[in-house]
Amino acid sequence: MRLRVAGEWLGSCAGCEMALLNLGQTLLDLLPRLEFVHLPVLVDHKYFGPTGAGDPGRLDIPAAEVGLISGHIRNAEHLELARAMRARCRVLIALGTCATHGGIPALANQFSDADILERYYRDGATTDPAPDPDDPVLPPLLSRAFALDEQVKVDLSLPGCPPHPDQIAEAITALLEDRPPRLPSKSVCDTCPTRREGKGAVGQVRRSLRNPDHQAGQPISEMRCLLEQGFLCLGPVTRAGCAGSLGEAPRCLVARTPCRGCYGPVRAAGNPMLDLLNALASNGLDIKSLPDRPGLLRFAGAHGRLMHPSRRAAVR
Amino acid sequence: MSGEPKILAFGCNWCAYAAADLAGSTRLPYPPSLRLVRVMCSGMVHPNLVLEAFNQGADAVLVMGCHPGECHYRDGNRQAADRLAVVEEMLTMTGLEPERFALVWCSSTEAERFVEAVRRMHQTVERLGPSPLRAPAAPGPEGGGKEAEGCG
Repeated sequence: MRLRVAGEWLGSCAGCEMALLNLGQTLLDLLPRLEFVHLPVLVDHKYFGPTGAGDPGRLDIPAAEVGLISGHIRNAEHLELARAMRARCRVLIALGTCATHGGIPALANQFSDADILERYYRDGATTDPAPDPDDPVLPPLLSRAFALDEQVKVDLSLPGCPPHPDQIAEAITALLEDRPPRLPSKSVCDTCPTRREGKGAVGQVRRSLRNPDHQAGQPISEMRCLLEQGFLCLGPVTRAGCAGSLGEAPRCLVARTPCRGCYGPVRAAGNPMLDLLNALASNGLDIKSLPDRPGLLRFAGAHGRLMHPSRRAAVR
Repeated sequence: MSGEPKILAFGCNWCAYAAADLAGSTRLPYPPSLRLVRVMCSGMVHPNLVLEAFNQGADAVLVMGCHPGECHYRDGNRQAADRLAVVEEMLTMTGLEPERFALVWCSSTEAERFVEAVRRMHQTVERLGPSPLRAPAAPGPEGGGKEAEGCG
């Protein structure tokens, strides 16, 4: 019998579904054992019956053994879909950092909704008038951007922006073989081959306007650790995995740029901003000299890590 | 405000905790909202501990150590000041008032200074009201959505 898989996307960009397709040969090997019963990004399936004649009060999502949800929860529609998926899927997987930690969209939590709507939809300079986002036809916003596990029970988290296909394959294979999946649990630094020479006298963080010191053509292991070179690399506070199981080095490091933190915190409940600022402060760096400190939470702004006071009030 | 405020203080063994002791033996009254935790040095208080205290419902947190230059371990209090600058930053990020946290220096003979710091923080909490993290999340339009606060 084939494993039935249902997929759904909430507030997201379809990058996670692209990662699913990027399984390549592995996907072809897995496909005979899988049956995708619902996956609106890739396969057409109507929520209220093929002709729209179904019960308008109930989302028609077929029952499945595995549910894959990408994206964060920001409005009432996302929440309804997430709950319907939870009710119809035996194992629910949060796919990608938006679903596991809020991802990029949860940066919105540091502003008030009034500010955001004013700036982007009402006050922004434009040549084409657009409808006001207060239009009742749009699903109402929730009090803030939520990660999936803040609203429904999640059985497995696959962070990453997007998650590496190796980890998606491992999760699906583990479910097929009825065993726990083997997923990365260490930090990006643990998988980084750059040369470490000890903590230097980094008095100030360097902006990425200049390339780090390295010899083009030399392997990554010949380059000095970017944090030691003074770049704000989120490697120490970010979950490993972006290199996949066979990669030479973390992906941003391969491009000779500092880690951006896309896999979210090393421990699910960790706070990358707190941990990195504390580490920098303990090394004698003035943290107030860092531009864009909230940017350290650019992938993990849900779970109350980023919160504008107005959103706090809404919760009260 | 609902219920008695709760102020958690981390007091250094050599100065602030001794000052609290002195305040007790000289019968100086201070608000009962204080919960004092003795640590060996203010420099060992990780910002995680402070945020964890807030997440567990503390209305305010004090970290108390020796005066600059008088640290029993030479520069632990200076390190505390460097590290705990992070707390202020994090409180702003999570929508809490930064006044709910303070770093206080007081020597082992300064019982009045200890008492004064606690009184001042108690008044601050009375003015600000209970911590929003303490108030149970009302089931709003999101239904039973729980407010998991994932710091630390």
